[in-house]
Amino acid sequence: MARTRRPRRPRLTIGLLVLASITIITLDYRGDAHGAISSLKSAASDAFSPVQRGVDAVTHPIGSFLAGAVHGGQLEEENAKLRAEVGTLQQQQLSGPATANALRSIDALNHLPWTAGIPTVTAQVIALNPSNFAATIELDVGRRSGVAVGMPVTGGAGLVGQVIATSASACTVQLITDAASAVGVRFGPSSAALAQVDGTGAGKALTVAYIDPGTVLHKGEVLTTSGLSDAAFPPLIPVARITRYSSTPSSTEESVTAAPVADLEQLDYVDVMQWPPPG
Amino acid sequence: MTASDLARCTIVLCVVLAVQNTLLDAIRVGGAHPDAMLLLAVAAGYVAGPDRGAGFGFAAGLLADLFLPTTFGLSALVGCLLGYGTGLATRGLVRASWWLPPIVAAGATAVGLCLFAILGAVLGEQGALRTALVPALVVATPAAVVLATPVVRMVGWALPPVSSGRGAHAGTGLR
Repeated sequence: MARTRRPRRPRLTIGLLVLASITIITLDYRGDAHGAISSLKSAASDAFSPVQRGVDAVTHPIGSFLAGAVHGGQLEEENAKLRAEVGTLQQQQLSGPATANALRSIDALNHLPWTAGIPTVTAQVIALNPSNFAATIELDVGRRSGVAVGMPVTGGAGLVGQVIATSASACTVQLITDAASAVGVRFGPSSAALAQVDGTGAGKALTVAYIDPGTVLHKGEVLTTSGLSDAAFPPLIPVARITRYSSTPSSTEESVTAAPVADLEQLDYVDVMQWPPPG
Repeated sequence: MTASDLARCTIVLCVVLAVQNTLLDAIRVGGAHPDAMLLLAVAAGYVAGPDRGAGFGFAAGLLADLFLPTTFGLSALVGCLLGYGTGLATRGLVRASWWLPPIVAAGATAVGLCLFAILGAVLGEQGALRTALVPALVVATPAAVVLATPVVRMVGWALPPVSSGRGAHAGTGLR
């Protein structure tokens, strides 16, 4: 009598795979295999970034062309606004050196690093939000260009986020809108008041914590990085603008929401500040 | 699994990964985008049954984890559970209808995203449940309907029906 081969039991397979997954998660979560996992991710990122750059080089002009065709009128309007802004900036530049010197002297007295003196690496955004559950971007610069974990990233007019992982030729940046992001900020007439800007998810408003009830606030007021000792960011980088604030008699702090100063939805080129956080 | 089966699986995994990381990641609505890597696990369970679906889902998830900032292994766990679950849930279904893969893909993608968000929240991924889940469901579930047919076809090519045994499967139902 011919014997039929006994089929593999799916329960055994799924059991082994779940066990393997849980082991990997535990090793990563506890940090026991952090070095090996980082190396693996770094190698994968390096291997894949040429593909990403190639596809981006092909799709970017098409996307720009389509966007241009759809938003032609809006672009003309933006051009006019930008021309006006260039004129204003040129005007400011004429009186700029004296003001900059004065501010540099004040900062030197306060032993604060001068943001404008920090070297930067300009990078192109090659991927936006690879995960649906984390607000991150990928840049085309990595360790080879002097980028390290913890370095702040700025774009447009303000803070974009912080480098959280690097490979030789690429890096991952956690945006300030990510739910795990928290940035210490200062505000007010003499920039003496301190608070914390927390992310709530990609594309969502930021919340501002630790503001006492009754604090004088203004819509549009700019919150800048605090630059306190052990802070993750150098001082005076614009982070967000206050969009709404309110408080109830029983509340222990103001309920404040803010919008990022940098347009995080339209990032193309950004600067990585070569400023390692203290410690 | 023969060497040619392994080669076909590798090709499908790499092609879908490239499409995900370059094109689909760029389609963002409310901060969320379609998730073809999750769909690979669903398609494998649908096409090849719970056993091979779990294995393929695990491989797809582990590959996706290499490029995600979330906890390493989380996508692999969700992938194998989703492949297994889809295989079990669709085992008795007649696969002649063209509309079955999109419906299965939408339902299983929604389950997979919820599972990912719950496990992520357990592991301390702040905001996974609170803010990220709803946009992900709103964007990735309809996208799964659109992507289901090509992904099921590709996975059907990578995981052809086995000739004998209880794991034999009726195929994709797509002609």
